[in-house]
Amino acid sequence: MEHAGPMTIRICHLYPSLLSVAGDRGNLLALTRRCAWRGIGTSVDEADVGVTPDFSTFDLILLHGGQDCEMRVAARDLEAKAGSLREAIEDGAVVLAVCAGYQLLAKYYAPVDGEPITGIGVLDAVTEGGGTRFMSHIAVGCDLGQGKQRTLVGFENHSGRTYLGPGADPLGRVIAGSGNNGEDGTEGARYREVYATYLHGPVLPKNPWLTDHLISRALLHRYRDAGTPDALEALEDQTETEAHTAALRLACRPPGRRRAASAALPRWWRAGSQRPAAVDLAAGDDQATGAGMAWTSR
Amino acid sequence: MSASGAAVAAGRVRLALALAAGKGSGAAGRFLNVSGGTSLPGAIARRVDPLVLQKVAAASKARKAAITGSNGKTTTCRMLAALAQATGISVAQNRSGSNLLQGVTSVAVRGADLRGRMRAQLLLLEVDEATMRRVTPEVTPDMVLVTNIFRDQLDRFGELYSMARMLESAIEALPWHGSAVLNGDDALVASLAPRAQARRLYFGLRTEGVGSEVPEHSADTIRCVHCQHPLTFRRAYMSHLGDYECRGCGSKRPDLDIAVTAIHPSPDGGNDVTAETPAGTLQVHVPLPGLHNVYNAAAAIAGAFALGMLEPGSARSALEALRPAFGRLEEIKAGGRRAVLSFVKNPTSYNATLRLIMQRPGRKHVLAAHSNTVVDGEDFAWLWDVDLEALVPDLASLVVSGTRAEEVALRMKYAGANLTDIRVIPGRQTALDTALARIPPDEPLYILAGYTPMREFRRIMQRRGWVPPFWEE
Repeated sequence: MEHAGPMTIRICHLYPSLLSVAGDRGNLLALTRRCAWRGIGTSVDEADVGVTPDFSTFDLILLHGGQDCEMRVAARDLEAKAGSLREAIEDGAVVLAVCAGYQLLAKYYAPVDGEPITGIGVLDAVTEGGGTRFMSHIAVGCDLGQGKQRTLVGFENHSGRTYLGPGADPLGRVIAGSGNNGEDGTEGARYREVYATYLHGPVLPKNPWLTDHLISRALLHRYRDAGTPDALEALEDQTETEAHTAALRLACRPPGRRRAASAALPRWWRAGSQRPAAVDLAAGDDQATGAGMAWTSR
Repeated sequence: MSASGAAVAAGRVRLALALAAGKGSGAAGRFLNVSGGTSLPGAIARRVDPLVLQKVAAASKARKAAITGSNGKTTTCRMLAALAQATGISVAQNRSGSNLLQGVTSVAVRGADLRGRMRAQLLLLEVDEATMRRVTPEVTPDMVLVTNIFRDQLDRFGELYSMARMLESAIEALPWHGSAVLNGDDALVASLAPRAQARRLYFGLRTEGVGSEVPEHSADTIRCVHCQHPLTFRRAYMSHLGDYECRGCGSKRPDLDIAVTAIHPSPDGGNDVTAETPAGTLQVHVPLPGLHNVYNAAAAIAGAFALGMLEPGSARSALEALRPAFGRLEEIKAGGRRAVLSFVKNPTSYNATLRLIMQRPGRKHVLAAHSNTVVDGEDFAWLWDVDLEALVPDLASLVVSGTRAEEVALRMKYAGANLTDIRVIPGRQTALDTALARIPPDEPLYILAGYTPMREFRRIMQRRGWVPPFWEE
C-alpha cells in the first residue's frame, strides 16, 4: 500500500445514548482497541438526535439496538439524516447495524401494539412484530467472500421477525438460534458494505474475525486511492477464541439438558415445572431452586 | 358432614400437610447443610398444596408488603423490618434474598402454624420484578414498594418498559386503602400507575452537594417517559436517579412525600441522614456505605410510613444494628487472608460497588465470577456497560471464574487489563484458593460475583468456618 504515515479510520457512532440497550458500547471498544493494537488510529464522532453530520466523511458507521419507544425517536430523527447516510452507503462506507439499528436501515418495523416505524429502506427487508421474543444464544455460519465459512456467535433478544427481499443478502445461515424470523434460517442482512444483525452480546468482541473484516473494509474505504491495503497484522486472540468457543458451546448445547435431569424425578414433582419452548416473560419464575442452579453449573 | 364441609376439611388437611412437608424440608436442608432452606420449603409445600401461599396470606391478619425493583430490594427490606420492629411490630420476611415464587412461599411456610395462621404482624416480601405478577394475586399486598428500575437481565425481563407495565398491573390491583411507594427520582418508576386507586407516595433526595449535573453513561431512563424528549436534570444523584424535568411536555419529578434533605458521612463509612416526612423530620444513622444505601433508607422510611409503622423517635437508632446483607461488601477473614465479597448483578450495582472499592487505598486484587443460571440469566452483554476501565489502573491481580469466565476475561482484556495478569479458572473453589494464594497477607481480595457464584463462594467459605451460614443472617 502506498500510503505513508500512520493510518486512521473515522468512525461515526450513531445515537450513542438513544440506541445502546445491551452493552453495545462493547462493539465500539472492540473496533478501537483492535485498531490501536495495530497502530491504526481511530477518531470517533457521536451523532445524536438533531445532529446531522456529512456521512461521506466517515469510513465506519455504528447503529445499535434500542427499545421500541427509543427506536421511534431515532426513526423520526433519521429522516433528516437519511439522504447523506444513503449516499455514504452507496459510496461504500462500512456500516454495522444491530437489532433496532438493523430494522431502521430496512423498510419498516410494524410492532404488535402501535404504529409502524418507517426505516430508511437501504436494506430490502421488512420486520413484523411477534408475540414472543427470541431470547437465546445464537450461532450463525457466514461467508463474507473470504473464501471460507466463519462462525458468528452471540445472543439475540428481539420480538421482530425480519423478512428479506431479493435486494438484500442474509449475513449468514442460522446454525443454532432463531435469526431473522425463526422460519427461513437466515440471519441478518448485507448490502454493499452494510452488515446488519440481530446479534448483540455485544457481537464484535467475541467475533474478532468480523471486527477485523470491518476494519479492513473501513481502511479500504479510507485509502482506496492508494491501492489495495495490506492484510491486517494478526493479533494474539486466545482470550477472544476462548470466549467465542464458549459462546458457540452455549448456542449449540442441547435444549433438553434441564429436562433430561428433571426426567429422573417422579412425575408428580415434574408437573408444571417444564420450561416453555418459546420464552415468555414469566418463564424462569418457578425454577430457581438450589438443585436447578446446580444443573447449570459446570 | 356435608360435601362442602368435607371439601373444606380436605383443603385444611392438604394445607397442613403442605406446611408440615415444607417445614420438614427446611429443617432437613439446614441439618444436611445442602441449602439454606430458603426456597426448598416453598418448593415442597407448593407441590403438596399449590394454594399454600394464597391460603396463608388470606388467613393472616398481618399487613402485607411487597418490595420490588432492580436494585436495593434486600437491603430496603432489612431496613424496613428494622424500622417496624423498633415500633414493636413482629415481622416475617425472606431475609436471604430468595425472592422468586418458591422463596416467597417459604416465608409463609416458616411463619405459619399448621392451620396456616401467622403470628407476625407484618409479612414483608422481597419479590423479583418478573415474579411480581405471580406473587401479588396470591398475596394481595397492602403496599407495593418499587425501589428503582435499571436495566437488569434483559434476557429475562424483555425491555425496561415491558417490566414497568408488569409492575404497573401489580400497583393497579392494590385496594383503595393500600399504598404504592415509588421512587420519585426515577422517572420511569414515578410514572407508574397514574390511575391506581391506592394512594401513591414518592420518596427521593432533595440534597445539595451530591451527584452531578448530567447522568453517567450507563443511565437508563434519560428521556421523558411520556414524550421521549431528553430529560433535563437539575441534579443527577446516581445514574438516572435525580431531580428531572421534561422541557418537551412539561412533566417533572413529582413532589416528594419523603425527602432526604441532608447526608453527612459518619466515621464508620456510613451516613447520617436527615429526612423530611409527613410524620416529621427524622434523623437516622445508616451504617452502610454509599449513596445507594441512602436511597434504600429513604425507601424503607417511606415504606414504614405507608404501613403506619414509623416512629421518628425510635427510627433514629433503628438501623444501627444493620450489617451489610451477605455479599454486599462483606468483610471476611479468609484463613490468614482478607476477602471482601460483593454481589454485582447489573451495571448500576456493579458501578456503585466499584466506586466504593476505588475509594479504598492500595492496589486491587480481584476475583470476578459470573455464571449463566436461571437466576443470573444467560446474557452478559451488560458487563460491557460496567466501568471496568476505571478499575484497570489499580488492578494488581485478576482471577476470573464461573461458567461464563471466558466472557469476563474478554471484557477485562478490552477494558485494558494486562493479559499476563488474568487467570481463567472456571471452578469456583480452585479460583478462590488460587486468588487468595496470589495476594500478600496485608492486601484484601475483592470478590465481585453474580448471585450464583457469590452463593457458591460463600458456601465454600462457610464450610471452612470463615462465614456463618446465610440463613442465620
